[in-house]
Amino acid sequence: MLRLSNASKSYRSGNFALPVLKNVSLSINQGEFIAIMGPSGSGKSTLLNILGCLDTLDAGTYDLFGQSVDHLDEDGLARVRLKYIGFVFQSFNLISRYNALRNVELPMVYSRTAPNLRTRRAKHALQLVGLGDRLLHTPAQLSGGQQQRIAIARALINNPHVIIADEPTGSLDSKSGHEIMHLFQRLHAAGKTIVVVTHEDAIAAYAQRIVRVKDGKIDPTK
Amino acid sequence: MTSMVPSSGQIRDALYQATYALRDNRLRTLLSILGIAVGIIAVIIVGVVTKGVRERVFSELESYGLQSFWIYRKDPAAGPNAAVREGTGIDDEDLQAVHLGCCPAVLQVSPRVYYTDWNVTIRSGNRFDRVLLEGVDVTYVDISKDVIQLGRNFRPADIESRRAVALIGTKVQQDLFPENPDPVGESFRFNEMKFTIIGMIKEKNRDFLKSIGAAENYDINDRILIPYTLHQQMLGSKEIHTLAGEAVDVRSMQDAQTQIVELLQRRHNNKFAYTPESMEGWVHTIDSILTNISLVGIIAASVSLLVGGIGIMNIMTTSVVERTREIGIRKAIGAPQRDILMQFLMEAVFISTLGGALGLVLGLAASYGLAAWTHMDVIPSPWIMLGALLVSMTVGVVSGYYPARRAASLKPVEALRFD
Repeated sequence: MLRLSNASKSYRSGNFALPVLKNVSLSINQGEFIAIMGPSGSGKSTLLNILGCLDTLDAGTYDLFGQSVDHLDEDGLARVRLKYIGFVFQSFNLISRYNALRNVELPMVYSRTAPNLRTRRAKHALQLVGLGDRLLHTPAQLSGGQQQRIAIARALINNPHVIIADEPTGSLDSKSGHEIMHLFQRLHAAGKTIVVVTHEDAIAAYAQRIVRVKDGKIDPTK
Repeated sequence: MTSMVPSSGQIRDALYQATYALRDNRLRTLLSILGIAVGIIAVIIVGVVTKGVRERVFSELESYGLQSFWIYRKDPAAGPNAAVREGTGIDDEDLQAVHLGCCPAVLQVSPRVYYTDWNVTIRSGNRFDRVLLEGVDVTYVDISKDVIQLGRNFRPADIESRRAVALIGTKVQQDLFPENPDPVGESFRFNEMKFTIIGMIKEKNRDFLKSIGAAENYDINDRILIPYTLHQQMLGSKEIHTLAGEAVDVRSMQDAQTQIVELLQRRHNNKFAYTPESMEGWVHTIDSILTNISLVGIIAASVSLLVGGIGIMNIMTTSVVERTREIGIRKAIGAPQRDILMQFLMEAVFISTLGGALGLVLGLAASYGLAAWTHMDVIPSPWIMLGALLVSMTVGVVSGYYPARRAASLKPVEALRFD
């Protein structure tokens, strides 16, 4: 369970502190599939960074699966991300000189998984996302949809509790986008908690619950 | 918590990632490798050249005997002909006193008797030659570490009976008997006296001594040795110009010289001062000169290594900036700071070690070239090679640390936003 209570975050610009999240409280249950929507500048990306432990709060608390992350240092947060969280980004964020297999193996390098086990698991994950025949292709040799599937395989590889996806279909055509969302649905059916940020209603429609963010607050009317 | 010491697996991973990244920027990597290689070549050349020069000079000096010394009367005010006017300050009775065991640190001595201007003209058939002529004892050949190449040394009977026999240097053979490589048994004339050649002394290298102007008009290979008793008879004197001696061992050098000098002063009622001279003294002087020269060389080589290190720091800093987004990705998926640090540090060490290895290969090649060209022993020792590799690795660690630290401390959110 992900629980955000009275969370606030501002960004400093010179002498001014620009509030981005204002006293946000949000709970996401284990196994839930939720979509976070909102116009650009609404604070939804900041919310996602907080949920993904990429950034820390100025005020308020964040509990992740019953564990507070508020007092963790950089490496502590990195360990939480490595163990519990899988990321999927709009621009895929693959390492361009690595082939599909090495990209998927990368989190296991940091979790100190034995090399032979890494390869076996990475192959399996790539088969799961339908890229079993593209193991040695580099991102540049693959389509956007295929690249995003490598990213999903990478997000899944350390068996995280939650998948956090920031506009995962934003760089894809609508057919590939829906294929990716079907993949998320399958993962959800398999028990994963999934949080997707999007501004497309058609994408948000895959989720069980939609949270709307506006001016740094969760819009209670919708 | 991960341990502070990286496991071999972590190092392998970091190295793998490093080689991958470097393949992206081949030219840049190659130039940095060259930067370090030049520094290492400089270090190796400086190292082997000073080592080679040192060995060559020392072996030349050693060929004159490191336990050997020469004692003669010192009197700078008296001028070069002082010996003629006031005597040499050493005579047969002094020699007897030494032989009787005055000086426990002295193994053996030999008188040296010569004309004050050294050179004399000798004749064989219708050939003439200007040579050094010295009268010595049987021990002289041993004291001066000379080797009888052909024939034999003097015998005590030759000295006692003042026989007209001679040992000659190789230059004398070349000048006087060019068509006879074995002149033993040949003869020459000096002062209307006929001398029979009983042996030839092996050639000695004198490049270094000549190069520093020492013994400039004393070509040791253009020399004739005769019994000192005969030479004294020709001079009509019982005087000895120089006493050549050998200490019982290298540690006793100082004692041996002091003992003889004190004996001479006592016997002559402190009338004269004496100068002891030895190759050992030269060795110390040369040693400190060479140490200073190699120090300057090492400083110069270090500067080029420093420049190479700055080159690595430069490309690593550039590389960190260029790969900010990649660092963000790695951090987002959970890379600890230490892994990022290790990755970039490994890249720097990889470049510098490759540079070191290349420098080592080129430096070795240059050393062999130099060895063939100068006939000097300038092949680097395994220690120089190991040292060069260690130094290049250290350069990598030192110059890679700052950029790697920067990469490791990037904030993931900010790094991911970077295009």
